Amino acid sequence: MKKTHIIALVLIFTAIGVVISTLSDSGTYIDFRSAQINMGKTYTVIGELDKGGEIKYDARNNLLTFYAIDKIGEVSKVYYRDVKPTDFERSEDITMKGFATDSGFVATEILLKCPSKYNEQNNLADNE
Amino acid sequence: MEYIGEATWIGELGRTLVVLAFVSALFSAFVMFASRGDVKLLRWGKAGFLVHAISIFSIVGLLFFMLLGHYFEYDYAWKHTSLDLEKRFVFSAFWEGQEGSFLLWMFWHSVLGLVLMFTAKKWVAPLIGFLSIVQGILVTMILGIYVWGTKVGISPFVLIRELPENAGLPWTKLPDYLQQIEAFADGTGLNPLLQNYWMTIHPPTLFLGFASVVVPFLFAMSGLLKNDHKGWIKPALPWTYFSISILGTGILMGGAWAYEALSFGGFWAWDPVENASLVPWLVLVGAGHLMLIERNRGGSAHATYLFVFLSFFFILYSTFLTRSGVLGDTSVHSFVDLGLNGQLLILLFTFILLPMVFYFYRFSSIPKGDGSEDFWSREFWMFVGSLLLFVSGFQIIFSTSIPVIDKIIGPMGLIPILSKQMASPVDEIAHYNGWQIPFAIAIGFLMAVGQFLSYRKTKLKWTWVPLARSLALAMLLTLLFALPYDLHKNPLYFMLLLSGWYVVVANIDYWISVMKAKIRFSGSSMAHVGFGLLLVGALISNGAKKFISKSPVHLSESFPSNENLLIELGDTVKMADFGVTFTGVEQIAHRRYYNMDYLKRNEAGEYEYDFSLRPHLQLNDQMGLVPEPSTKHYFHKDIFTHLTYASDMDKRGDEDGYGEEMEFLMAKGDTFIVNRHFLILDSVNAEPVFDENQNVKRLTIEAVLRLLATNGEVYFVRPSYTIEGETDTHHEVIVKEAGVKIRFEDVNIEKNKLFLITKQKVDDDDEFVVLKAIIFPWINILWVGCILMGLGAMVAAYQRVRRG
Repeated sequence: MKKTHIIALVLIFTAIGVVISTLSDSGTYIDFRSAQINMGKTYTVIGELDKGGEIKYDARNNLLTFYAIDKIGEVSKVYYRDVKPTDFERSEDITMKGFATDSGFVATEILLKCPSKYNEQNNLADNE
Repeated sequence: MEYIGEATWIGELGRTLVVLAFVSALFSAFVMFASRGDVKLLRWGKAGFLVHAISIFSIVGLLFFMLLGHYFEYDYAWKHTSLDLEKRFVFSAFWEGQEGSFLLWMFWHSVLGLVLMFTAKKWVAPLIGFLSIVQGILVTMILGIYVWGTKVGISPFVLIRELPENAGLPWTKLPDYLQQIEAFADGTGLNPLLQNYWMTIHPPTLFLGFASVVVPFLFAMSGLLKNDHKGWIKPALPWTYFSISILGTGILMGGAWAYEALSFGGFWAWDPVENASLVPWLVLVGAGHLMLIERNRGGSAHATYLFVFLSFFFILYSTFLTRSGVLGDTSVHSFVDLGLNGQLLILLFTFILLPMVFYFYRFSSIPKGDGSEDFWSREFWMFVGSLLLFVSGFQIIFSTSIPVIDKIIGPMGLIPILSKQMASPVDEIAHYNGWQIPFAIAIGFLMAVGQFLSYRKTKLKWTWVPLARSLALAMLLTLLFALPYDLHKNPLYFMLLLSGWYVVVANIDYWISVMKAKIRFSGSSMAHVGFGLLLVGALISNGAKKFISKSPVHLSESFPSNENLLIELGDTVKMADFGVTFTGVEQIAHRRYYNMDYLKRNEAGEYEYDFSLRPHLQLNDQMGLVPEPSTKHYFHKDIFTHLTYASDMDKRGDEDGYGEEMEFLMAKGDTFIVNRHFLILDSVNAEPVFDENQNVKRLTIEAVLRLLATNGEVYFVRPSYTIEGETDTHHEVIVKEAGVKIRFEDVNIEKNKLFLITKQKVDDDDEFVVLKAIIFPWINILWVGCILMGLGAMVAAYQRVRRG
């Protein structure tokens, strides 16, 4: 067997390793209720801000609490122990990484999708 | 109907030029492929491309003219600029939108095409032919016309009233709508994050890098077309190293921008958009090294073709990832779907199919390697290194593509295989680092050892000496940098550090002992040393970064202690060895600076002023408040300070902190509730002052009010109201204990009641900020590495041109 063939084999196995590891590392987007089943385990939940609920940022204790609605419509209180992101109130979707507890979802990381100028344009176009 | 004040000629000229650019690209492509050595046709083809390039330059010029001239009737100018935009940021505004960034890409392609046209000699026809195909497809992105009911491209020359969502609205029928509607007086302005000097140089550099990857691709395609599998390598080599240099520099400038202007505290976050530009670079570096093997020894023609095609494929795939909106949930700064997805996919698949067709058509005539490489030959290990670069790139792009995979096999995808929507790895940084650190270690060792091996066969006896002495020195440096920061406790970190230093030392050794320290042979050594330093700098600054703004508050044991710290105005807080005082706030134009004095203990143990940092907020109407960090640079470390919150960020009341105004009409004896207190009007006193004619000169009316707290506390309040001639004056009263401010506004004569306005305390009196402060040790090694790598690749490109 040629050396290049050996390398090619190693390469293929590494690639398979990459694929498997990525798939096993990758989380799934779930809802609050499923996160409740495994309290304390980290999940990613996509939801949106419950505009009716209270948004409270306590700067002195550095704790943001708000209510979020997940994709199936369930509302949960969310604790985020960090600074309130800019434009938080205007966000459309919130991607929350964190874990469920008895008193609500504790987010360790949140990512906002804000309505950009492009979005507005697209939404208008979609309505036609 | 004639609209007043519209500069319609810009749009008409712009669209004409776009069509001209499109047609001339097609013409040039057609003639170039038809020419087959015919000098006359070749001249026509060149003329066609020249017309195309001039059209593109004119479009770019016209768009700048529109942005600088504040033609807000145009959507692009309105969306991306405003009257108060500083002139130097008009460049950022140009490429803020997709249309502008496509134009920037085509601009660089045109420039590169012109250079090729005058330098590539016998390769001109196929090179320009293939480039014209690429350009033709790219121009369709900004065509903005309808073909059989489908919109093709988005033109930057669209008037706001012509946008589909505004079609038929009443105001679009007003001839003087520009004068009547206030919104047209000023644009909405540029995203404040882009109002940073890095954003004026990072995108053009990155796009030049992006655009230049097309050149090796064009050469490879031309090689297949002409069935000359060796000849194209030589002229393509300097271009490849030029591209490696510029693209690498562009990516790292993006990191520098993120570090200077963004809040996450670092220069790299494995964000999809960053990954999308890194992967083509990794593959291109692999391709460049395979080209060297092919040129110096031969036998790697197949791999060279595949790598060159892959590098260009990844450029297009990155374009698709960042511009199609598919990354919406995973990246903060990718473009949103503009409806160009179909066209982006056509672009992508054209340049998967075209090279594949050519490659398989010529498959049998491409020379194969004989597999006779010696185990201790340079080409063997360079080949392994290139493959490693590819696998490393593959890992990054595969993980970045999770949203794409989800679109294909996810629950809502084309072929729904998975029952749940896939999400990016929960701990992304750990996921990427877990793979990339071992890859980097391996690549580093190859780069250190590889230089000392020669093509075909190496005399090992001689090689062990420099390799061993370099390794010894590298080990010394590694220990020197690892021990102070405890990096040796993580074996992967330790190995990466060793590998990085080994690259640095071995390549310097090689340059001095083998190349006799000749500047003209310094290209590869310099680039390798740069890469080694980059690994070292990235590892130390990240692996040993230290949050000095730790807050004592914990949520639970498993929760990381907080990295934000609160400082009241005037207070001094301890941060590691520093004392930090918040001394004040200063506003300059739309930027509000928070002055932080860093104090250091002197020998007597007292705090002494050391330096000041001024993180600031950009106040922006559209985007709200945008914080920007401030960093103190030392030779051996940076102190990064970022404002995460300021008490004046969401002030609800007036200057004095009172707000939530309420109005009352009160008669004597009435009671109202204000801020949890009863407000009772007991009586009204009037105090007239007469002049010499016994007319009322001044009248003061005083309301005698009682404020009752629930705990029984009573406050007597007497706001008054004075009329003198035409002027009214008000004497407002603040009851600090109750948090209430009362103003006697007027007397309502008809109802015989007093008109009172109350406000309550809504804001905290004490100003404070919440800070995040991080020490990045030795981050300068990283930047020096970046510069050396860019320069080295450029020197390598120059060497290749000189050697001819």
